[in-house]
Amino acid sequence: MAQGKIVAGFVAPHPPHLVYAENPPQNEPKAEGGWEPLRWAYEKARKSIEELKPDVLLVHSPHWMTLVGHHFLGVPRLSGKSVDPIFPNLFRYDFDMAVDVDLAEACCAEAQGLGLTAKMMRNPNFRVDYGTITTLHMIRPQWDIPVVGISANNSPYYLNIDEGTAQMETLGEATRRAIEKSGKRAVLLASNTFSHYHFHEEPDTPEDMSKEHPQNYHGYKWDMRMIELMRKGQIREVMRLFPEWVEEAFAEVKSGAFPWMVSAMGYPDVPAELHGYGTVIGTGNAVMEWRLAA
Amino acid sequence: MAIVSAFLMPGNPLPFLQRGNPPWGAIAAGADRAAAALAASKPDVLLIYSTQWIAVLDELWQTRPHSTGLHVDENWYEYGDLTMNVRADVDLAKACIAAASAAGIRSKAVDYDQFPIDSGTIVANGFLNPDASIPAVIAANNLYHDFAGTEHLGRIAAEQAALQGKRAAVIAVGGLSASYFDHDINIAEDRIFDDAADSANRALLDAMTQGSDALQAALPDFNCATKGDMGMKHLGWVLGATGGFTGATVHSYGPTYGAGAAVVEFHL
Ligand SMILES: [Fe+2]
Repeated sequence: MAQGKIVAGFVAPHPPHLVYAENPPQNEPKAEGGWEPLRWAYEKARKSIEELKPDVLLVHSPHWMTLVGHHFLGVPRLSGKSVDPIFPNLFRYDFDMAVDVDLAEACCAEAQGLGLTAKMMRNPNFRVDYGTITTLHMIRPQWDIPVVGISANNSPYYLNIDEGTAQMETLGEATRRAIEKSGKRAVLLASNTFSHYHFHEEPDTPEDMSKEHPQNYHGYKWDMRMIELMRKGQIREVMRLFPEWVEEAFAEVKSGAFPWMVSAMGYPDVPAELHGYGTVIGTGNAVMEWRLAA
Repeated sequence: MAIVSAFLMPGNPLPFLQRGNPPWGAIAAGADRAAAALAASKPDVLLIYSTQWIAVLDELWQTRPHSTGLHVDENWYEYGDLTMNVRADVDLAKACIAAASAAGIRSKAVDYDQFPIDSGTIVANGFLNPDASIPAVIAANNLYHDFAGTEHLGRIAAEQAALQGKRAAVIAVGGLSASYFDHDINIAEDRIFDDAADSANRALLDAMTQGSDALQAALPDFNCATKGDMGMKHLGWVLGATGGFTGATVHSYGPTYGAGAAVVEFHL
């Protein structure tokens, strides 16, 4: 068996607004559109997935927050209706996903081997969180590639940013080892918004784009600074500044998906491609790709 | 006064899901005593606030007449499934939305099939109102509201219940000390995370037994000594909705994976 590899990693944020605005058949609420530049960014990411033909998509989501360790979806098929608890007016989505349980188990075992608390989620009635679903829909709406779903352990909040980020980086290392042994072509999805300052009230028409802009200029500037470093391939510098970015831009990357992915990819110095950036209720969202293999 | 009883209930589902585990079973036994006290107070409606129902935009109020379905907790899924069986007092919830909005707290109704009602609300309702025969007004924990704002919300809910001539029971759903074990433990030996959290919890419960003034006075010390669940805003709900209480019975106190949990009946 050939060695498995991570063929690409994406920052793939999960505002449910993007699914809502696209009006896919799975989502009950209907929109007049909205957030087009971000959705066009995801169109480019979808093309990349088409070219890369991965065997598996791994997604780390901040909206499956776990207290005791890092958890992996461990049921071969999960389906149901996911209603976003924060935006139930926008996201009521019928999901049906195939899980790569073998790879999930391998990642879990590697994580345990590296000293992390890690668990398999085996409850067949489990409702997959809207972050995981939104990211997967936006990146691959056909739902024809098996998935490894990974929770966001609460350690960056419960312990501190350094200890929590170190755990996520260890989880990334475990993920990479498991992928290499699996022989599979894998794509990593960091389901994270950047600056997370947001408006506290929703417009009457949520997709009214005349109301959409960065909520916080300082958060916006941080995002641009970090994106520029990523575009230059300076990922070590990004990680050096990471705690400051998290603190000052109130960035959702704190929850761990970004450091998990970057560590799994081995802190690559290849320039990232920015597919697009846009705000959703004022938060900063970038769709970005690190292409590691053809 | 329209308030006929008031309770603090744990939001962690472990005592409900696994009462066979002694540390959690003791908490559940206290919840049974609270259920008897609630029934004796013959409420027309429950006014529920749960720290686990998180809102970040507007204040949210549940208005689906009957919420049913399975709910699996994202953390404690291995201990079993929860069954949603929650009825809303739609008239009263709508009155609360109007009154809160008039008071400058932008509020919205939530009425969606399969809406993920939080584990805390489901288990508190499951202990106290298992057949869902008593409808409820359920208010979300908006992360941007503080303790005083939550008191205000509780007051609004109680005022609206009184205006509708309803006998209301106040149910605050949440924990005490929030520090938990972040690794696997032997659940039969579950205990409060550390001595500092345990002493802080005991001091806070003792203050509750002395009445609302004592509780108000004790809260700053509690918050210094340990990290409480969501700034203990659920107690703000109790204080606001009851307008104060004279004492309390602690029906049970114990650990939920290290975090503090208690069932308390407030004397009005
Ligand atoms: Fe998010």
